[in-house]
Amino acid sequence: MTFGVRSARVRYGDRTAVDDVSVELDAGSVTAVVGGDGAGKTTLLRALVREVALDGGTVTAPDKDRLGYLPASSGSWAGLTVAQNIDFVGGVFGLAGEALAARRAELLAAAGLTAAVDRPASQLSGGMRRKLGFCMAMVHEPALLVLDEPSTGIDPVSRIDLWRLISETAARGAAVVMSTTYLDEAERAARLLVLDRGRALVQGSYDEVRAGFVGTITRDRAAVRPHWSWRRGRERREYWPDADQPAGQAVVEPDLEDIVVALSLAARNREGAAT
Amino acid sequence: MSRRDTSRDTSRDTSRSLLRATSVTHRFGDLVAVDDVSMHVEPGEVVGLLGANGAGKTTLIRMLLGLLATSEGEVVVLGGPPDRARRRRLGYVPQNLGLYRDLTAEENLTFIARAYAAARPVLPPDLAAYAGVLVGDLPLGIQRQVAFVAALCHAPEVLLLDEPTSGVDALSGTRLWDTIRAESDTGVGVLVTTHNMQEAEQCDRLLLMSDGKVVAQGSEGDVIGDTTAIAVHTDDWARTFAALNAAGQPVVLDGRAVRVADGHVARLEQILAAEGITARLEPVPATIEERMLVLARGEADTS
Amino acid sequence: MRAMIVKEFRELVRDRRTLAMLVVMPLLLLIIFGYAANFYVSSVRSAAVGPQAEQVVSQAPAMFDFTVVEPSEGQADAEQLLQDGKVDVAFVTGRQPVLALVDGSNLFAAQSIVGALNKAGNSVTTQVLYNPDLKTSWVMIPAIIGLILTFVGTLITSIGLVREREQGTMEQLAVMPIRPTAVILGKIAPYFLVAAVDMTIVTLLGVWLFGVPFNGNVLAFALGAALFLFVVLGVGVFISTVSETAGQAIQLAFLLLLPQILLSGMIFPLEAMAAGVRWIGYLLPLTYFTMISRGVMLRGAGIESLWYAYLILAVMAVVVFTGATLRFRRDLAPGARSGHGRRGGKEPEPATVTAPATGGAA
Repeated sequence: MTFGVRSARVRYGDRTAVDDVSVELDAGSVTAVVGGDGAGKTTLLRALVREVALDGGTVTAPDKDRLGYLPASSGSWAGLTVAQNIDFVGGVFGLAGEALAARRAELLAAAGLTAAVDRPASQLSGGMRRKLGFCMAMVHEPALLVLDEPSTGIDPVSRIDLWRLISETAARGAAVVMSTTYLDEAERAARLLVLDRGRALVQGSYDEVRAGFVGTITRDRAAVRPHWSWRRGRERREYWPDADQPAGQAVVEPDLEDIVVALSLAARNREGAAT
Repeated sequence: MSRRDTSRDTSRDTSRSLLRATSVTHRFGDLVAVDDVSMHVEPGEVVGLLGANGAGKTTLIRMLLGLLATSEGEVVVLGGPPDRARRRRLGYVPQNLGLYRDLTAEENLTFIARAYAAARPVLPPDLAAYAGVLVGDLPLGIQRQVAFVAALCHAPEVLLLDEPTSGVDALSGTRLWDTIRAESDTGVGVLVTTHNMQEAEQCDRLLLMSDGKVVAQGSEGDVIGDTTAIAVHTDDWARTFAALNAAGQPVVLDGRAVRVADGHVARLEQILAAEGITARLEPVPATIEERMLVLARGEADTS
Repeated sequence: MRAMIVKEFRELVRDRRTLAMLVVMPLLLLIIFGYAANFYVSSVRSAAVGPQAEQVVSQAPAMFDFTVVEPSEGQADAEQLLQDGKVDVAFVTGRQPVLALVDGSNLFAAQSIVGALNKAGNSVTTQVLYNPDLKTSWVMIPAIIGLILTFVGTLITSIGLVREREQGTMEQLAVMPIRPTAVILGKIAPYFLVAAVDMTIVTLLGVWLFGVPFNGNVLAFALGAALFLFVVLGVGVFISTVSETAGQAIQLAFLLLLPQILLSGMIFPLEAMAAGVRWIGYLLPLTYFTMISRGVMLRGAGIESLWYAYLILAVMAVVVFTGATLRFRRDLAPGARSGHGRRGGKEPEPATVTAPATGGAA
C-alpha cells in the first residue's frame, strides 16, 4: 500500500501553510520531510494523520488502528512512568495481559529504555523521552508511522538511536515519514521532500535530487552577487542557476545543504523580482 | 581588531584569552559533572562545544558564566573571575532565547537595553518589519535573530550561544551565522553549544565532551579521531539490517545502504555469512555522531 | 528598575484574563455587597391555618406575606408546608396561644420572624422547627458541602484536563482510536469519585462534629449531589476547553466560584437580595444544591417537594455537559484547526526538556 498526499493544500485564515504538496510514502522506506520552522512540515504531517482537514487535494492514510503518530510535543504523559505510558497506549489499541507485557519488553529493549521502566516520563532526558514516544507510536505495529521532528534538539547519540529504531521499523515493512530540520538525516532517508514556506522545493532520493539540481555553486571569500550567496564556514557560496559563473570561480560538488539553501534563495529572489 | 587566523590555535598566551578554564572540576555530591576540563576561547574565534546529554556542557557553561562555582580549578573570564561586572560584558543567548513572548520585538529590545544600560539597538532593515509584532507570533528564525540583536546591544566581548540555529531552516541558519561571524570578525570570541553537525562545521574549533571530560579538541577530523565506520552495500538491505541489528552491531540506515559504526570487517562478514547474505563491505570515514555513539557505548560498557 | 516596571505593565496589558480579573473582580464584589449583602429579611412567606386564620392574617405585621390561608387545615398540614419549604412560618390557630411554627433551616428569615414575634408577647408561642437553636453551622454545613463539590468539580477538573493540552498529548489522543466521549468520561471519572468521597466525609463530619441532623432520605440527597456534580464537572470541562494553561483555568474557575459563594444563598439569603441581583443567584447551580441539601438534611424534605431544584440541576447538567463535550470534541476530532498561533509549525518542545532533572549534570 502506498500512502501519501496529492496536491495537498491547507490554509489558516489567509495564510497558506501547505501549498500544493504531493508525496508518496512507500512501505518499507523512510521519507524525510525537511524544512525550517514555518515550512509546513507539521501541518503536512497533521494532514496525513487527519488531524487537520485539507482545503484541497487528497490524503491516503490507513485507519487509526494502523497509524502511529509521534507529535512534535513531548509525546508522552509526564506523570506516568515509562511502563504506564506504554500500557495506556497498548490498552487503547486492545493489547492486554501477557501480549502487552511482551510487546512492552520488546519495545523498551530495542530503545534501550529497559532500565528506566519505572521512571516517570518527566524525569527522562529529552532523548529518552522521544524514544519513549517512538515506542508508544509503535505499540500496535502500524502500517504508517508518522514522526514530527523526532530528533530536534536531541543529543546526537539519542538521535542515532532513534534513527536505528526508525530504520528497524522500515526494515520490517512499515512506511515511515518523519520531519526534520537536520539535513544529514534527510540525506540518509530513502526519499526526501524539502518544504519551504509551504511549497515543495525538491523531492526524491538524495541521488535524484543531486542529479536533478540545475545550475552551479561556487565558493570564494566574497560574493559576486550578494543576493545569491550565503555563508558556509569561513567562506561564501554562490548559486548560479544558469551555470553562468565567471571563469576562474571554484565550483563545488553540492551537498544537500548547498542544494537546499540555493533553491530557497532562488525562490526568495524570484518572489522579490515578481513584486 | 583584525581577525587572527585561529584555525590551529593552541594559544598559550593566557592573558589574551577571553575565556579560559584550567583544570576545572565540578562535583554535585558524588557525581562529577565536569572532570578536569581545560579549554579556552580566543578573540575572534568560534568554538563549538559538542557532547551527549550529561556530558557536562551546561555545567561547564554555567561555571564560565559565573553562575556556578568550581569545585576545583580556575575560570578566568576577560582577565578575571566571572563576577557580575564581567558578566555584563558577556552576551548569552540560551536555548529558549530569553525573550518575552507577550511583548513585541521592539519592547523586548527596549527592556533588555535598559537592563544593560545600553543604547536601544536599532533593528536591521530586514527585521524592521517585525518590530511591532509580538515575539510569540514570530517565526522561530526571526525570533532567534531578534534574540541576537538583543544579546549584542551592549557590545559584549564574548558570546555564549546555546544551539543557535536549532529548528531553523537552512537558509535562515546561514544568515544567523553571518551575524555570528560578523561579530567574531570584530574580535568577539564565541562559544557555541550544538547538537547539529551542520553547525559544527561552521566553527573554527571543536570541543567534544563526554562524561565530564574533554575527549577531543580541534578540527572535525581531530574530533572523529580514529573512529571508523563500515558501509555495507547489499541488495537486501532489510535483511542485512535485521541481521546486524540482532547481532548487537550499532547499525543505521543510510539511504539504501547500511552503516556500522566502529565495525570490524571480519566480524561483520561472519554475521552476514551466517545469514547467507552477500554484501560488499567498504570502510568509510566516520561522522562525529558515530564517534559520540562509540564513546557512549564505551561508557555504557564501563558503568 | 524602571525598565522592569514598564515591561511588567506591558505584559499585564496583554494578559487579558488577569486584567479582567483585576478590573471585574472589584466591581463584582462592590455590586454584590451593595445589593446582595443583606442579612435582614424584610418579607417572609407565611401560612395560617385553623379557625382564626383570617384574623391572624389581618393582625400580623406587614413582613408576613400570607401565601396560604386555610382555615380548614390543622397543625399537621402546617408542618408539611414547612417541611416542603413552601413557607417560612405557619401560624396554627384554634388554640391559645396561637402557635407559630418557624422553619429553622432558613436561618435569617427565622431570625427575623422570631424577633418580630417576640414583640407580640404572650399571644403567640413560637416554635422553631428543624434547627431549634438557630445554629449557623447547621445551616452553613449543608451549603459548604455544595461548595466543596463545586471546588473539586470545577477547579480540579479544569486543571486536570488542561494538563493534557499543556503537555501536548492532546494530539496523540486525537490520533488514537479512542472516541472523544470515552476520553471525557474517562477523564472526569476519577474526579467524580474524589468529589463523592470528599462530600461523604464532610457530610459525616458535619453530622458527627457539629450535630447537624440528617433527617431526610439518603438517596434523595445522593441524587441531588450526583446531579450537581455533573453540572460542576461539566463546567470544569468547559473551562478546560477555553484555557491554554493551568493558570488560566484557575483564574476562570475562581471567577466563577466567587459569585457562587456570595449569591447562592449560602451566606446571604436570597430573599434579602435586591431583585436586580437575585436573578443571578437563580442561575447558579449551587443555589439549587443548597436548597436540596438544606431541605433534605434539616427538614427531611422529599424529592417531591424539591422537584424543581432537581429538574433545574438536571437541565443544567445536560446543557453544560453537551456544550463542554462539543467544544472538547473539536479539540480531539479530526479536521480540527490547531490554534498554535499564526506560525505553521509548533516550536519543538523536546528542546526544552533536555535539561535533566537528575543531578544537574548536563
